[in-house]
Amino acid sequence: MKKCLNFFVSLWALSMAVFLVARLAPGDPLTSYYGERAEKMSPQERSWAEAKLGLDDPLPVQYARWLGNALHGDLGISYKYKTDVVSVIGGRIGNTLLLGLSSFALIFVLSLGLGAFCAWKEERLPDRLICRVGTILGCLPEFWLSLVLLLVFSVWLKWFPTSGAYSIGGDGGLSDRLRHLVLPLAASVSGHLWYYAYLVRNRLLEEVRAEYVLLARAKGLGKGRVFFGHCLPNILPSYINLMAISAPHFLGGTYVIETVFSYPGLGTLAYESARYRDYPLLMAVCLLTGAFLMSCNFLAQGICRRIDPRLGTEDGGRTGEVTEFG
Amino acid sequence: MDERFVQVGILPAPEQQRTIRRAKEKKPVCSAAVLGLILAGCFLGGWFWEGPPYMDLYRANLPPGRDAWFGTDAMGRDLFSMIWPGGRVSLSIGLLATALSTAAAVLLGTLSGLGPKWLDRLLMRFTELFLSVPGLLLAVFFQAILGKANAATLSLAIGATGWTGMAKVIRTEVRQMRQNGAVLAARCMGAGFFWILRKHLTPNFMPAILFMVVMNIRNAMAMESTLSFMGIGLPLETISWGSMLSLAEKGLLSGAWWTVLVPGAFLAVTILCITDIGNYLRRKNNPRSSGLPG
Repeated sequence: MKKCLNFFVSLWALSMAVFLVARLAPGDPLTSYYGERAEKMSPQERSWAEAKLGLDDPLPVQYARWLGNALHGDLGISYKYKTDVVSVIGGRIGNTLLLGLSSFALIFVLSLGLGAFCAWKEERLPDRLICRVGTILGCLPEFWLSLVLLLVFSVWLKWFPTSGAYSIGGDGGLSDRLRHLVLPLAASVSGHLWYYAYLVRNRLLEEVRAEYVLLARAKGLGKGRVFFGHCLPNILPSYINLMAISAPHFLGGTYVIETVFSYPGLGTLAYESARYRDYPLLMAVCLLTGAFLMSCNFLAQGICRRIDPRLGTEDGGRTGEVTEFG
Repeated sequence: MDERFVQVGILPAPEQQRTIRRAKEKKPVCSAAVLGLILAGCFLGGWFWEGPPYMDLYRANLPPGRDAWFGTDAMGRDLFSMIWPGGRVSLSIGLLATALSTAAAVLLGTLSGLGPKWLDRLLMRFTELFLSVPGLLLAVFFQAILGKANAATLSLAIGATGWTGMAKVIRTEVRQMRQNGAVLAARCMGAGFFWILRKHLTPNFMPAILFMVVMNIRNAMAMESTLSFMGIGLPLETISWGSMLSLAEKGLLSGAWWTVLVPGAFLAVTILCITDIGNYLRRKNNPRSSGLPG
């Protein structure tokens, strides 16, 4: 109950902050509504337009009006798209969820596999090679990685399209969508994967040095049996916990990648609306993102308390340690 | 105990472990040298070759060749002469932002570690709040408050996002140290907060956060380039590696691959060198986790 209250208070604070910052930042919202014409408007036309959009009232009044409408489920009309904000977002959110969830799932599986493989081959050639490659790929800025991927695979090799989520005028079928998904997915996965793979590897290496492993080996269990039957399940809680906690960071990265690939998702929408001062849209996207982030955090806390009661006690337990991995 | 682990085939054999350890203790000479070269080129290069030219549309999008070593961009500017001043801006932003966030982290971390319980809880809540929002979005937010971006405001916006991890580590270290005899004695003799911080605490937590500081430079540079690339950071006229890359998206479609690869390669190599040095510092100063690469 207290959590629910906390959630809504944070959401409200966020809406206030976004509202203030958006209005105080320089830029002309009329350009997004009227396009090029806004620059040639006479002062009378301008003030008429501002009154029409409700931009001439003092800020508190504007905020109160927005809040009142939002509480009634009306988030306003996008200046740029001239339709209901909810429908603009509704058209895009599927794409973002598709990209985000599929890369999340891929990273989950791949990093577990890769980390376990590296730990199995500890300090032998494959492990060292993967660690080296991972360090390099993991620290490059994502947008540049995406640009290089675009350059190689869609400009030079022409295997994949350069932008969008489906081809214009195409049938919008599954294979078309998948072809558009490959590069953003590759960029997102290759940027994020290594951090989690290292976590798995390092936790596993700590785990195989525990006494119970020695006992199990002495009793005659095979190496693989101990490794996958005992060690891997033991590290899973902290791994799942980290995955849940890092969902927000993941989302931030997805937004950048969407922008590079002009992938019509929430990221490009947020970017556009911030650039063109499309206030209602910006508010809605920010609130949606914020709500998502906060629910992820609450979920993560819940999960980690359920799995490992020790974590709930002092400042989030051990997860804070892994915030920096090269 | 380790021997038994080796016998049952869990750990690598001793001679293998020795080579591993030697490889781990190797100093990052190569990275330091390359980084030194880039730094020298950026900060001293201005004396040896002239700065970037103005627009010259007749020479737009020239491929790398004898005329222009790294080619020219869509505005006809020579990339070779832009790389060095651009790097100067990028590196300065990285350093400045890191200095800011380190200062903030030291101040907040020690305050939280030494202060009364309510202050500690308040500051930690504050840190959690920052940690839970993606750094990039936070930087965009701050930049929006600060208005039109230039190198100083951008460093401020980036610096305001990077202090959380360090502050947490410092707090933990300070908490362990505050019952230490030296700190207690200094307190009894009437030493002030900043005196204790400078004389007793900083030397103790510095090794623990040194690698984080180095990694922070890298993160700040990556963030600068990302923001500039998206058009939220530095404008096109202020040359940095990031703003050079913001022209790259157009270059991509017109086949001008050098506008993507040249500034990006410089950025990537710099970031890699810094990472390598940071990893070395981590292994050296945090021996507890030294068995693990990263």
